[in-house]
Amino acid sequence: MSSKRITKELSDMGRDPPTSCSAGPVGDDLYHWQASIMGPPDSPYAGGVFFLSIHFPTDYPFKPPKISFTTKIYHPNINANGNICLDILKDQWSPALTLSKVLLSICSLLTDANPDDPLVPEIAHIYKTDRPKYEATAREWTKKYAV
Amino acid sequence: MSKEITDTTDFANTKLPDFAQLDFLLRCHICKDFLKTPVLTPCGHTFCSVCIREYLQSNSKCPLCLLELRESMLRSEFLVNGIVQTYQSLRPSLIDILDSTRSSNDTSIIELGSDSEGDSYVKEPIDITGEYDDDLQIVGASNKRTSLRSKSAIYPSSTPKTMNRIGKSSSSIQSMFKPTTKNKNLKEKQAQCPVCEGFFPIQVLERVHLDECLTLQSLGKKRKGTTSSLNDQTVSNSLRTSRMNANTSKRSQERRLVTPTPPPPLPPAISYAEQYLNSGRGTDSEQRLPKLDFSNMTTTKIKQKLSSLGLSTTGTKQNMIARYNHYEILWNSNFCDSLNPVDESELRRQLISWDAAHNVPASSSNGNNGGGIISKMMVNRNGNSKENHYKKLLADFKNDKFERKTWIRLYKQEFKLLIKEAKEKMIKKDAKKMTAEKEAALTTDLSVVNDLGDNLSDPDLSKELNVQHTPVQESTTEENG
Repeated sequence: MSSKRITKELSDMGRDPPTSCSAGPVGDDLYHWQASIMGPPDSPYAGGVFFLSIHFPTDYPFKPPKISFTTKIYHPNINANGNICLDILKDQWSPALTLSKVLLSICSLLTDANPDDPLVPEIAHIYKTDRPKYEATAREWTKKYAV
Repeated sequence: MSKEITDTTDFANTKLPDFAQLDFLLRCHICKDFLKTPVLTPCGHTFCSVCIREYLQSNSKCPLCLLELRESMLRSEFLVNGIVQTYQSLRPSLIDILDSTRSSNDTSIIELGSDSEGDSYVKEPIDITGEYDDDLQIVGASNKRTSLRSKSAIYPSSTPKTMNRIGKSSSSIQSMFKPTTKNKNLKEKQAQCPVCEGFFPIQVLERVHLDECLTLQSLGKKRKGTTSSLNDQTVSNSLRTSRMNANTSKRSQERRLVTPTPPPPLPPAISYAEQYLNSGRGTDSEQRLPKLDFSNMTTTKIKQKLSSLGLSTTGTKQNMIARYNHYEILWNSNFCDSLNPVDESELRRQLISWDAAHNVPASSSNGNNGGGIISKMMVNRNGNSKENHYKKLLADFKNDKFERKTWIRLYKQEFKLLIKEAKEKMIKKDAKKMTAEKEAALTTDLSVVNDLGDNLSDPDLSKELNVQHTPVQESTTEENG
């Protein structure tokens, strides 16, 4: 079932692609994809292009896909290894979700970080106490690593 | 996997694009395919029986609204089942009827079963429409359409435009094996089913409907005692009709053809309506397979249980437990939820193919299913070294050792393509409201991406890449040996 469903999502990606993201399989392996997300215009990540690696488990969609950033990014919910703290990628996953919806959620996570459930507490602290500083650093990192 | 992937956007270019909504509603939100043996949750959502049962093995909430849900709360939905099946069988012709613009080559086969029954029937001439054919009876097809179709049939090898069409394009290969050229004219015309006498587009008839009709016929014979007399009557009626001599049949033909000049409305296959009306009577057959508490069972006991069900006892204890659990899902959804359950042996066959894909001990579990399609899509692969490199990198995926830089370098090309795609989409979307300034900003973005590409191709990095290639290849030769 997983391969059929993934093929279906691949075809959906082609037919009705989400805005400002792209995704597709790596080589011959249907279970490993890569994606790119454009930094949302209304965020300090604007102008950057962020790469992600996606790993579908064999029991997908019953288990969530494993997604991580391969581009370095300064964000309270994304750590140095690129791991993303996003509820729908963990306990709030539902098989009714699709990769395209997840990528859109990641996009909106870039616009609106969630400092109350941080993966990197230091960044979350700066985000809450000194917003301009956070935005400046995020912009700087974007410039340095994502453009 | 065998079935073509259908999509709600199939209706996008038709006269009724809103049909996509119906197409969407009749799908399971877990497998994204059409509902198969649908079951209803107390919260009012519908899923395939197998899908939701499998999900509920590890969760206890509805995938859509996250309300509490247990397997025992699921109820069969015979009506939805009938609706989905009817819709599915009508869908290809529906799209075709609604499709005003397309003149594609994806419907180019006509093959007719050559069993004696069918032949004797279809060879009767039709005077009314003036159309005549050796193999088929044709009703109402516009001339314009015919000419379009035949044009496309002359070039049956034209390549599919997107991968989504791959499934469909196989039909053009089949078309090359067609015995006569005259059949080309028959595309999208309707033919009468020799069993139930309904009119169907030829494709539907030969692909789906005939099988269904024949199955129903044989079932109807078998179940003579239990099923309603109405059902039996229909089946035997149609049987008789199909064997009628030319005269009577022609008369009935006339009756049928007098009224409709445009293609007659497709009668919903009788079978589904019948099935629904008779639903609920067949529940006596099989017992529900229980959930087992494996924690208290020894391996030998599990083996006994499996072999008593006729299942394989290979693999580890975990494998056997997973096998039983999946069989329990298949069994219960087949015998408790389905209107026309299949045989146990068919269930075992399904289990074996599931086993092969999901339940092999460790390491080699990631299937390469669908590799064929993907390899066609990804043309940018640089042979073995890259693949091996990728495998090595992947081993560390999700832990701290993952070398993101190498990964990016390795897939520079692919990523660039993805960026390009995404940018195009963004530009397209914003084009209308965007001011000239913003557009200028985007173009600078693009040039930046090009810079990135240049940076990545710097000689030091590629040296690094080459150095890292060597150990990878060594490791693969070990694997091979």
